[in-house]
Amino acid sequence: MGRNIAIVEDEPSIRANYVEALTRFGYQVAGYGSRPEASRAFNTRFPELVIIDVGLGDEPDGGFELCRELRAKSPTLPILFLTARDSDFDVISGLRLGADDYLTKDVSLHHLAARISALFRRLDALSKPSSKETVVEHGPLKLEAERMRVTWNNEEVPLTVTEFWMVHTLVRFPGHVKNRDQLMREAQVVVDDATITSHIKRIRKKFIAIDANFDAIETVHGVGYRWKP
Amino acid sequence: MSLRFKLLLIALSTLALPAAGWLFVRQMEELLRQGQEQTLIASARALARSLNALNAELPPAGNALYVHRAPSHITVDGYGGDWSSLRPYTQYLGPAADAEKLSMLLSNDDEGIYMLVTVRDATRTRVDARDQRAMTSDHLILTLQREDLTRRYLIASGAPGHFDALTLTDATDNALPTVLDGVWQENGSGYTIEMRMPRAQMPDRLSIASYDAETATETSSELMPLLTLSTQLSDELSQFVAEGMRARILTGDGWVIATAGTLASPPAQPVARRRWLENFVYRHLLAPSLIEAADFSVELPRLNATEIWQALSGVTSTAWHRTAADSGVVLAAAVPLKSQGEVRGALLLEQASETLPLLTNRALLSVATASLFALFVAGGILFMFSSVLSLRIRRLRDAADRALRNSGSVDTAAMPLTDSRDELGDLARSFSGLLDEVSAYTDYLRTLASKLSHELQTPLAIVKSSLDNLDHQSLPDAAQPYVERARGGAERLGAIVRAMSQANGMERAIGGAEAEDFDLTAVVRGCIDSYRPIIAPRRLESELPTSPLIMHGAPELIAQALDKLVDNARSFAPDDGWIRIALHALDDGAELTVANSGPLLPDTMQDRLFDSLVSLRPSTQRAAETPHLGLGLYVVRLIASAHRGAASARNLGDGSGVEFRLLLRSMPRRPLA
Repeated sequence: MGRNIAIVEDEPSIRANYVEALTRFGYQVAGYGSRPEASRAFNTRFPELVIIDVGLGDEPDGGFELCRELRAKSPTLPILFLTARDSDFDVISGLRLGADDYLTKDVSLHHLAARISALFRRLDALSKPSSKETVVEHGPLKLEAERMRVTWNNEEVPLTVTEFWMVHTLVRFPGHVKNRDQLMREAQVVVDDATITSHIKRIRKKFIAIDANFDAIETVHGVGYRWKP
Repeated sequence: MSLRFKLLLIALSTLALPAAGWLFVRQMEELLRQGQEQTLIASARALARSLNALNAELPPAGNALYVHRAPSHITVDGYGGDWSSLRPYTQYLGPAADAEKLSMLLSNDDEGIYMLVTVRDATRTRVDARDQRAMTSDHLILTLQREDLTRRYLIASGAPGHFDALTLTDATDNALPTVLDGVWQENGSGYTIEMRMPRAQMPDRLSIASYDAETATETSSELMPLLTLSTQLSDELSQFVAEGMRARILTGDGWVIATAGTLASPPAQPVARRRWLENFVYRHLLAPSLIEAADFSVELPRLNATEIWQALSGVTSTAWHRTAADSGVVLAAAVPLKSQGEVRGALLLEQASETLPLLTNRALLSVATASLFALFVAGGILFMFSSVLSLRIRRLRDAADRALRNSGSVDTAAMPLTDSRDELGDLARSFSGLLDEVSAYTDYLRTLASKLSHELQTPLAIVKSSLDNLDHQSLPDAAQPYVERARGGAERLGAIVRAMSQANGMERAIGGAEAEDFDLTAVVRGCIDSYRPIIAPRRLESELPTSPLIMHGAPELIAQALDKLVDNARSFAPDDGWIRIALHALDDGAELTVANSGPLLPDTMQDRLFDSLVSLRPSTQRAAETPHLGLGLYVVRLIASAHRGAASARNLGDGSGVEFRLLLRSMPRRPLA
């Protein structure tokens, strides 16, 4: 039996498309059109992963509200924001509320499916002992690919899936410059250059929050970024 | 013409004040004059009546001969040289058709009476008085009358020189001269006799007749009384003449027979120059119609002025003339002297009116001063007012200019004068409202792209997810190309939407950019290295400073701007063209230029090129490959202004291509929080 995914999306066509597509990928998918409806359903049956639109019907920030509620109930539940709102402010708000990733609606179903499976993999990996994991270590950095966990000086860096993939891309070949297109491909997103820049900026900030002297991600102007060897 | 100048011109209208003052003063002067005229006429009439009451001897009616005061000692020589000053007063006694046939002049001094008779007679028949043919030859008959006594004399001479007059009547009484002698002189046109008789034997009346032998006609005058300046009458007159006035009695012919009094002499004027100015002002501005003083001179034996003749014809009249010293005005009033309803002469009363010019001058002066003061005050006030007005208008204009100068965006921050309650305040409020609307509209336009992209994303997601789902349906092969095409269309639509939201994202990125110190040369060099493969086969030229160029700013933003410019240049430069990237250090920043050998820009577009949604790409190119919404250069400008710089585009001077210029300065350093 497939995993249980809930989609909270006020646009019926998109909801139906996603429900169908994810069902085809083998998940058990339930679609909800509004926050109260979703909340009621979650009281009886808690999903294993939730995809939320930020604007829900009459509530422009209903998705954030729902995210907060769910996070309060379960700290480990993977939550994905899927929205048309792509401003940095919304992204930061969503992530601060504990969402695992924030995707804009132009993401393709394949990319979405890849993320969902990655999140489930991580969930599984966390519940298993970490013995046979592929671990990349580079100086103070330790990257556990399956658990999608990154630590710096043994302190966990709270990265989203997208961010993790970007760091992963950079760290796999330290010293190699990865241009924006490569990062975009690896992170399975289609965004503009400015969004990549802000992603990198956020990643840097998260590292700097742990180590003020962090400068391992280097900008190569006009080309891209690289992990300082 | 500036507003201030116009208002100053308007201030000139206050010149109406002195003009009105001048008119007023003139009128006042007129009134004063009339008052004085009336007073003087009244005095003159009273004087005339007094003379009547006193039975003073009035001048006789009818013609008379006037005995002048001899101007100098008169030598009786027949040439009349001593008489030259009296010549103008020669009395002509000839017939109306030929008055100059016989003329004479009389004068007296303390010793005697002198007589000069001139006869025009070119055809002489000379004979002595004692000759028997005397009465049929050229001769003169002089008739003298004193009281009851009448004596006739025959004057004739055979040759120029002394002559004796022959008495034609008995000559026993000594009251009149028994013997008359004189000198006879001749010239081509006639003859002249000059005679003298003792003063004691002065006749009352006189007549003279000349006989021309050629035509055998006698030219004779009636027996006319002799008039002279009468001491007795003058004394009588002087009793009535008030101080400072001058009175003269004139005969029916205008001969002065009595004079009394003197005009008040003007007080000594210490400031002569001011007098001169005042006189000038008075003469030319107030009383331009003054008669010359000479017409009324006291030395004149006969007055010849319109006023006199009016009085002599029975009409009282007045005249204003200057004083001899030209320092004041004199009012003359002439009244007829009547006896039994018959005009016998005229009384001329004159009064100097020194105070009138003074008064009117002073009035004019004070009016002029007052109006000049008013002119200055009004002019000053108007000038200040207009200065304030134009200052306010300029402030308004500057504010309006400033609000729109901020290229692309409207600054509605501070419109001055919106608090004032006059029309300018209204204008400012209208401006403010207008700018608010323009600003709202500009903002709307600016955010249109991002709003639109936001709104388009949901339907786009529907299309894309539907297409994704469709992939998993077993479609007939024939349907596959359509799905592919639909996907391609959706992709392009997605790219458009992304590009549209990009500008907005860029603004946010710029707002959130954190400035750091970096070497601009290194950034540009790194970018250029990465461009080489993209730009080929076009030639890439670069011109970089050798030393590092340290700036405080956001290097990734500058790199992005350079990306946009190079991408732009790449799409315009032909394959065999060139692209030149140059970086120059300026005093306070850096200048980054990207030139390419592409087609030139139309002149009108050079400024607008960096505006949002403006693109010069041909529509064919636009439809192909990635969409261009004209946002790339807009982003460049945003980045440039984030670095306190500017972006501009121009055609190269030699017409070989187009150059985009980016001016960058260090961002202000944020204080360390």
